[in-house]
Amino acid sequence: MSEMVMNSLPVDYATETSGGFSFENATRNPMIMASKGAEYLPKLTKKTGTTICGMVYKGGVVLGADTRATSDTEVAEKNCEKIHYLAPNIYCCGAGTAADTEMITQMMASQLELLRMNTHSQSRVITACTLLKRRLFGYQGHISAALVLGGVDNINGPAVYNIAPHGSTAKLNYSTMGSGSLAAMSIFESDWKEDMSEEEAVQLVKRAIGAGIFNDLGSGSNCDICILRTDGTKDYRRNDVKPNEVAPLRALVNKSSLLSMVPGLTPTIGNPLIQPHPARVSLADVDVVMETVES
Amino acid sequence: MSQKNREGEVLTGTTILALPFEGGVVVCADSRTSTGTYVANRVSDKLVQLSDYIYCCRSGSAADTQALTDYVHYYLSQWSLDTGRIPTVKTAAHLMRRLIYQNKDQLQAGVIVAGWDPVHGGSVYTITLGGSCLELPFATGGSGSIFIAGLLDAEFSNGMDMAEARNLAKKACSHAMCRDGSSGGVIRTVVISADGVDRDYTPGNDLPFGPVAVW
Amino acid sequence: MSILEYNGAAIIAMAGDGCVGIAADRRLGAQLHTIATDFTKCFRMAPKLYVGLGGLATDVQTLHQLLEFRMNLYTLKEEREMTPQVFSHLLSHLLYEKRFGPYFVEPVVCGLDEKGEPFLSGMDLIGAPVTAKDFVVTGTCTGNLFGMCESLYKPKMNPDELFECLAQSLLSSVDRDSVSGWGGIVHIITKDNVITRELKGRMD
Repeated sequence: MSEMVMNSLPVDYATETSGGFSFENATRNPMIMASKGAEYLPKLTKKTGTTICGMVYKGGVVLGADTRATSDTEVAEKNCEKIHYLAPNIYCCGAGTAADTEMITQMMASQLELLRMNTHSQSRVITACTLLKRRLFGYQGHISAALVLGGVDNINGPAVYNIAPHGSTAKLNYSTMGSGSLAAMSIFESDWKEDMSEEEAVQLVKRAIGAGIFNDLGSGSNCDICILRTDGTKDYRRNDVKPNEVAPLRALVNKSSLLSMVPGLTPTIGNPLIQPHPARVSLADVDVVMETVES
Repeated sequence: MSQKNREGEVLTGTTILALPFEGGVVVCADSRTSTGTYVANRVSDKLVQLSDYIYCCRSGSAADTQALTDYVHYYLSQWSLDTGRIPTVKTAAHLMRRLIYQNKDQLQAGVIVAGWDPVHGGSVYTITLGGSCLELPFATGGSGSIFIAGLLDAEFSNGMDMAEARNLAKKACSHAMCRDGSSGGVIRTVVISADGVDRDYTPGNDLPFGPVAVW
Repeated sequence: MSILEYNGAAIIAMAGDGCVGIAADRRLGAQLHTIATDFTKCFRMAPKLYVGLGGLATDVQTLHQLLEFRMNLYTLKEEREMTPQVFSHLLSHLLYEKRFGPYFVEPVVCGLDEKGEPFLSGMDLIGAPVTAKDFVVTGTCTGNLFGMCESLYKPKMNPDELFECLAQSLLSSVDRDSVSGWGGIVHIITKDNVITRELKGRMD
């Protein structure tokens, strides 16, 4: 009975969501966009015009990614992270719409964490692959996430999977994705060999990402590397290669004194409004003393 | 049914075929998966095991056919557990047909289901894009199939042995791969008979093509 | 034209030494027609937390109301202030929930975290996060804003320097954008207070 009462309470859509997407504005938006002659939505969203790749080597897998995010032709972020955490032994590179790759990997990480808690066992790469492909297939390609999934587990060893936005997958020895995938693939196709050493593998991945950074306009900035080894160790090297560092070049520029502004330069209206932060009492400010009650 | 190719979709522009022989069946496929003009995967496996003695050759959208074969594989395993029997090829084919027919406006999948079962021996079913299921003496599918229709009409005969059937399958597949831009890579074959399954592949630089082909 | 550019906006959030600042223009327009010059685009969500909402004005206000509601609920439930990191995640997921029918708003978040360190983040209209250590921008002249900030920004600025940097970056950027400008406002968040100054800008 108490359940019935609970269910009959009005559902507050702003807080109590049942999960999944909300289509609240889905009828409104095309109307206002049509009335204002506005652009098609995908042009507005941020893309990770990207080079990502992954490969299997003798003792595990190596994943690589560039760090540029673009919105249309503008570089929206120069140093973003495209190698996402899924499980301690599984990472995933994402290309496509930035929000989609970010959110789908976050959701997958939480789903895998819960699965590990339930089963008391290590997550497998094939599990992550199947969960991702089912979700992407369910959304019929509307979630634009092109993924290179890589990981190591105790059952199947190291593996790299390629997952396309419509939900098709392929288990491969090496894989590339994103706008720079052709440039990166050219490197793998010429120099990938079976049973490479870790050093050789990392070098090859760096070259593949480098090919994307320098030959594809959608990719750029730095190179992130993630190594997952069969012995269970991992090495996430953020900005392992920084071929486009601007700070040293900037330091060489003699800035005009006009660029160092003196306080009071900008004209303002009225006096500045200064609002002190409200004083809050926290537990640190209170002495907790034992209270005695007299009978 | 108006279906234009969805942009950026991974397609298996394909050559697939299934040839029965005395006591079994051989299924065969190329290994090219493409996105537009880009070869997304040159070593893909379009031959999927649905049960111990039944295989499926996929053509059309990679995502759709993978989802379909996952479902059929799952249903057949469940059915085998429930009944304690091994499924017939007919059962598998009609399960596949039902899924494709019922969802035909959302799917792009043309598949061949082939295999061996104790009731009918080796048999071959083709399921079209629209969801009709036909049992055939032999089946071809995918964009490369038109190039080898005549070849197979001329060379296929009932009562071939396993080696003859596999060689003919490879020959036909390599001819299709040479003429069809959407087919290529390596040739994968699986021979299915009462003895089990036997996988084999021929690398792309060693195709049995033309009159001088060495087997 | 993009629907994000219908009303016009220019917003910058920038980090200093133990302080952060956020600057925005004041214009509300309908394409080239200016409707108001006192429109608020930066909102104080907590004592040391501001959010700047650039984009379609109706959604700026709707999203602000929704955020205000969620902030109040959080304070009631948790009896503590929301940190900028948490707020940024909340906003990101709020936007992504409407992935297939988004609010036409691109937010920036700035604030001081529990340790008093500056926090900055930006998002696109469906919640793809951008985290930066120096500055984040949004609005109709992001190209100009990026250019100005890239040249005027210096690490470790004090609150006064930060104000000048923000103000000059904003004013110069909006002078070359026809749909933003008409005055500006700058909030500097320090560990003790928030200093708000209104800028005297070109009114053409």
